[in-house]
Amino acid sequence: MSKSHTGMAVRMQRFLEHWGVLVAFVLLFAVSAFKQGGDFLSIENFRNLLNQNAAVGILAVGMTLVIVSAGIDLSVGSMVVLAAAVGTTAMNALIEAGWSEPSAVVSGALVTILAGTAAGALNGALIVFGRIAPFIATLGGLAAFRSIALAIAEAGEIRSQSPTMFSALGRGGIPLPFAENSAGKALTISWSTVIFFAVAIAAQWFLSRARFGRQLVAVGANETAARYAGVPVAWIRFRVYALMGALAGVAGLVQSSRMNSVSTAQLGLGSELDAIAAVVIGGTSLRGGFGRIWGTVAGVLILGMITNILTISGVSPYWQGAVKGAVIVLAVLVQRGSRA
Amino acid sequence: MDFAGVKQVGAAAHATLPRMGVRGVTVEYPGVRALDEVTVDFMAGEIHAVVGENGAGKSTLMKVLSGALAPNAGEVLRNGEPTILRGPRAAIRAGISMVHQELNLVATLSVAENVLLGREPTFLAGIAVDRPQQRERARALLAMLGAEMDLDRAVSELSIADCQYVEIAKCLASEAQVLILDEPTAVLGEHEASKLLQLLRRLRDEGRAVLFISHHLDEVVDVADRVSVLRDGRLVARFQRNAVGVLQSEDGTVATEDAMAQAMVGRELGSIYPPKGGAKPGETPAIELIEFGAADRSRDVSVRVFPGEIVGIAGLVGSGRTETAEAIVGLRRPVGKIRVAGAERTFKDPRAAMRHGVTYVSEDRKGRGLHVSLSSIANMTLPSLDAFSQFGGARIDAVAERSVTARWINELAIRCARPGLPISSLSGGNQQKFALARWLETRPNVLIIDEPTRGVDIGAKAEIYRIIAALAQEGLACIVISSELPELIGLAHRVLVMRNGSVAGEVTREQLAEAGCEERIVRIASGLRAERQETHE
Repeated sequence: MSKSHTGMAVRMQRFLEHWGVLVAFVLLFAVSAFKQGGDFLSIENFRNLLNQNAAVGILAVGMTLVIVSAGIDLSVGSMVVLAAAVGTTAMNALIEAGWSEPSAVVSGALVTILAGTAAGALNGALIVFGRIAPFIATLGGLAAFRSIALAIAEAGEIRSQSPTMFSALGRGGIPLPFAENSAGKALTISWSTVIFFAVAIAAQWFLSRARFGRQLVAVGANETAARYAGVPVAWIRFRVYALMGALAGVAGLVQSSRMNSVSTAQLGLGSELDAIAAVVIGGTSLRGGFGRIWGTVAGVLILGMITNILTISGVSPYWQGAVKGAVIVLAVLVQRGSRA
Repeated sequence: MDFAGVKQVGAAAHATLPRMGVRGVTVEYPGVRALDEVTVDFMAGEIHAVVGENGAGKSTLMKVLSGALAPNAGEVLRNGEPTILRGPRAAIRAGISMVHQELNLVATLSVAENVLLGREPTFLAGIAVDRPQQRERARALLAMLGAEMDLDRAVSELSIADCQYVEIAKCLASEAQVLILDEPTAVLGEHEASKLLQLLRRLRDEGRAVLFISHHLDEVVDVADRVSVLRDGRLVARFQRNAVGVLQSEDGTVATEDAMAQAMVGRELGSIYPPKGGAKPGETPAIELIEFGAADRSRDVSVRVFPGEIVGIAGLVGSGRTETAEAIVGLRRPVGKIRVAGAERTFKDPRAAMRHGVTYVSEDRKGRGLHVSLSSIANMTLPSLDAFSQFGGARIDAVAERSVTARWINELAIRCARPGLPISSLSGGNQQKFALARWLETRPNVLIIDEPTRGVDIGAKAEIYRIIAALAQEGLACIVISSELPELIGLAHRVLVMRNGSVAGEVTREQLAEAGCEERIVRIASGLRAERQETHE
């Protein structure tokens, strides 16, 4: 092989390592547009894509931070259902106790996020102070948190007692000018999408511009060196799991308000895998010490589009997991590149 | 003892064809030419020593020979033929084995398992390991080396010396014809070292090409048939043992330790050390250790270091020097007391120590001292990140970070064109300056610096000495831990010598100025207090 050829191959490799996720995004976008024609390119379709994936997106953003710290959190899906179950139950109790709807909904939302934070903090405490490997500690959480949610609702559904406000939070949004849906009603950017983007932008800021992010990267890249450099390693690691819990609470709020209920057997089931997949597709190193939120956001949308395309193409849902799995492995292969 | 006769027999019997060699090999790292057109032959049946200062390119040469690194130019020869070694495994298959300084053993496996790692005798069509045969083969290989040890013991329980035997037995198991050893005696005691050298002679006499790197020039004079001296990546001198067993160069220079050192450094030794300033005893000690130590690793270390003073700590690897320093800043569990500026303190982590002006620069630059994957800027500001944080940490002042980094680059003459790139792109010396600068930025009163010039080239070395001396002049109390005695002697006001976890002796400023003080330190460090006759004269 001639020298220029190898040079070309190497440059191609480097390019894909860096921008592969965007290339994949654009390709999928084109395929979607081709397959579905005008329907796909409609604002409504985008709105739905974002809306459907906002909750997983919020989890994936948190997961990016956890993975940057060289950790993992398998319990996110279970934290979602636990937080939503606790929060919705609290909201219903407050409404029954005669609180006004707005104050009950706001309190319920806060309880949801706090419950998630508490679960995350428990993970963090086990990992940092109990010195349990993150994989194991959160594997315990995966089993335990959902089980608690199931016990609260006796494995059933918790229906929101809020007449209008709670579901308005889940289904409403900011109206878009000049945009109408197929039924002729004004389109909105849903609150869940707004929250997803707000969380992503804040996380990107914290990762690249704030002290917490810098220390998180230092801990993930080399925990020992971070300790030697005077980084409060335990505190940083604890905080990232607590933060992950808080975001799981937010995701729980987004999901339960969208459904106006919490199905304790179904909500958040398997989302830890979707979240981790999105992070990996986005180019964040599972070894820690490096991560990018925008990649994760692209990863979430790629997974969403794949599901979309497969569904529209009439691929059986049973096969969709296989396709997703292949995409995840392919993404890692392309990005691993020369570092292998 | 005299082995000249043995050497001659060995050399004469086998030294006919170069078993291995390099021709015009050049290796470039970003910003540094680690090897510059080096050509050298390694003969079967010869011990070939490669010497040079840190950063001279010895390790790089070994990496090229063992297939771990592909040269940018030039070729590797095997039995006279150009060859390309695709990785260490290919090299091992080609009969070239390397014993690394940090031994590559699996700590949890037994001696027998380690010796035959990857070539286990099997039965049942390769499914099951034939344990009795594995033990027997391992025993035979170790017996060839004259080493006896419990084959079932886990390697983690062995002494360093025994680990080295296991490593060499591993090389023999792979039928190595070329054996490369990176500073094999660096971590050994005197007795163990001489046993190892004896073994190298045996391996040589059996017709192998033995290459070794060493900083101990006395053992090089003792054992080597050929010596190559590297300096700044170039081969600057060669010595060969002549018919009467004297190592000399082509122009007849006899390879004394001095002659080799001269070739290694390329200028007068001693000039790299700045003049020693005056310490200021009488004031409150900046730091005082009282019967201090790291739990289970050291004890009874009592020392006062005054502002402006540089106290050296010598001792063999494993004597508890590093552990004691780590205990001071809370990286290990301490015993005893610390007083900082007169007040008793206990630090739970380096962060707490830093708040009271006590900082520790690790010996392990790549693993602990720096984050090699992060940028120079991020490394520079990590310990003092709080000072760059705004709005409760929500924002790091990137402009201030850049200007502070630029200031230190300027102040310490760091060669770093793009501080935003990973610090791994810098040479060892420049990395070390950053490792130092990041702590100076925290404005310490006490600086503990462990192996300040490990893996640093000679030019940067002199600069680091100058920086430390200047800092002391400004009133910083310095504790310098080092395995390089000339460095301690040239830099420190006095030297504590540690042995087996406690202070075995102290060498005063007056004694440091005397000739033979290096020997005095070595003797204290190795527990030989009595004067000893020179044996190799």
